[in-house]
Amino acid sequence: MAHIKCRKLTKEYYRGDNVIRPLDKLDLDVEEGKFISLMGPSGSGKTTLLNLIAGIDRPTSGTLNIGGRDIAGLSRSKLANWRSEYIGYIFQLYNLVPVLTAYENIELPLLLQPISRKERHKRVAVALELVDLTDRHDHYPRQLSGGQEQRVAIARAIVADPKILVADEPTGDLDKQAALAIMELLQQLNRELKKTLIMVTHDPKTALYADLTLHLEKGQLMEAELFEEHPATSEETQTKS
Amino acid sequence: MIAPKYIPLVIKQITRHRTRTLLTVAGVATAMFLFVAVQAMQQGVAKVTEETAAETTLVVYRKDRYCPFTSQLPDFYGRKIGDIEGVKEVIPMKIVVNVCRASLDVVTLRGVVAEQFIDQQRADLEVIEGSMDKWKKTYNGAMVGETLARRRGFKVGDTFKTSSVQNEVSGIFRSDEPQNQNVAYVHLKALQQATDKKFGIVTQFQVKVDDPARMDEVAAAIDDEFAIEQEPTATRSEKAFVAHAAGDLIELIKFTRYLGWGCLFAVLALVGNAIILSVQDRVKEHAIFQTLGFTGNLIGRLIIAEGILVGLLGGGVGTLGAVGILYWKQLSLSVDGLSIPISAGATLLITGLGISLSMGVVAGLVPAWQASRHEIASCFRAV
Repeated sequence: MAHIKCRKLTKEYYRGDNVIRPLDKLDLDVEEGKFISLMGPSGSGKTTLLNLIAGIDRPTSGTLNIGGRDIAGLSRSKLANWRSEYIGYIFQLYNLVPVLTAYENIELPLLLQPISRKERHKRVAVALELVDLTDRHDHYPRQLSGGQEQRVAIARAIVADPKILVADEPTGDLDKQAALAIMELLQQLNRELKKTLIMVTHDPKTALYADLTLHLEKGQLMEAELFEEHPATSEETQTKS
Repeated sequence: MIAPKYIPLVIKQITRHRTRTLLTVAGVATAMFLFVAVQAMQQGVAKVTEETAAETTLVVYRKDRYCPFTSQLPDFYGRKIGDIEGVKEVIPMKIVVNVCRASLDVVTLRGVVAEQFIDQQRADLEVIEGSMDKWKKTYNGAMVGETLARRRGFKVGDTFKTSSVQNEVSGIFRSDEPQNQNVAYVHLKALQQATDKKFGIVTQFQVKVDDPARMDEVAAAIDDEFAIEQEPTATRSEKAFVAHAAGDLIELIKFTRYLGWGCLFAVLALVGNAIILSVQDRVKEHAIFQTLGFTGNLIGRLIIAEGILVGLLGGGVGTLGAVGILYWKQLSLSVDGLSIPISAGATLLITGLGISLSMGVVAGLVPAWQASRHEIASCFRAV
């Protein structure tokens, strides 16, 4: 059974008198532990689909079943609780809270869990180690490079051990070197921690890290590209990037 | 309201805009300082003018006279008053003040017959320094009320001169009666000698009635007794007398309640403005919190907690400042020898802090509700 199952998923909103439909009766199945990249031109509905899967937006019609649960029918507070349990969101512009240190930013999702301070500390330490930023735990976002900020954001996204990671152009604001490191980290999370990973990207080279690339246009799926051997990790691709 | 684990988060949000927070806290502190000072005055007025069912003290004054220098009654009136049915005690009293105008530092001398005064008042006064016996034996001795002693820094053995009368502090006493707290009792003869030398003339009589229910009856009987004398009297309960004699000042003080309400409104506006600005600055940040799983309700409560913290910080500084200064200065607003204490204690401190907390909650409600209703995706689109 698919972990994420969208049926006739439609999203509409109004801009003045005009109806904008970024998603139009989209059907999609994603199996657990898969790494999917979403590509397509601006306005094709990539981020809208990502936001719907992440539970931060609601479909106008259609069903969205994740882990056997129709999240479109959840109340605001239940949806928030569901997000804290199921979703880790990685933004293009990191979106760290500027007044909090790296440690405190990573700790944020854990505040919602019924665990002790000691347990929170333990989990943050593990997340910091995973993103190789243990020595920067007390740094504020302004004291970190773009790549480091994104690694803090990734640590924040995984610290509560969510089932699904969603990433909206995670390397879009990074230089080549930092982008490569981030993609390797995401791939490691997908492979080693078996996280389902949905990533929006404009960059075909970044998309190569995924198991499958889906192309969207005008709110509908156009074609799928399957990469069974993960060409992005091959020596040739690494040299190119 | 919020779990303790969120408090560091709230504090960080407040200290984020240090200048804005400091200005808000300073504004709230100033407004609460004023509010507490106004409340202290209002309480002082209530204390000296609101009568209780247990009142037993009447003041006999010269009819149609309103200041101690013009109220002159023969001291033989005292014997006649003592014969009226229902009268328990009579104390003739000459009053001299150093300032006739309204002032925060009036020294009021009450000249009394020491033996009679001690017999009748010993139970109502608690001597906290010196002794009544020493005062009885010292011609220019003075028993000083605690408030006056603290304000002027008097200690037993100190001498002070007021209205050309030289006095020596024989003792300091405490009394539940606000008027007593702010006066110095001296010997009647010594006071008459040192001032106008009008022996046999006093300013007023302080009369104790044996039954509180007979206050009006006894007051009427006293005034009837002297109605056709050259110096007719006007007799009122002590608190009604204060309310009448210091009426203009009391009206002014009562008017300041509007100033107090204005202060509260200022606190509400200041905290509300600070929280609204802060919330508007953090639309995206709240969207991030919601993305992480924070519910709108929790975000709303975090914002209200910010309001409470700002309100309590400013309110605490202002309230503590006002209570501290009023306690230290022991101010009394006096006119014509009558005092309205401006004092603040634990009750006003708790009231001030309670109001600061409530204002913080109220000021945070609207921004909290707005922030809790934001749609995450539209917040990200808007930024």
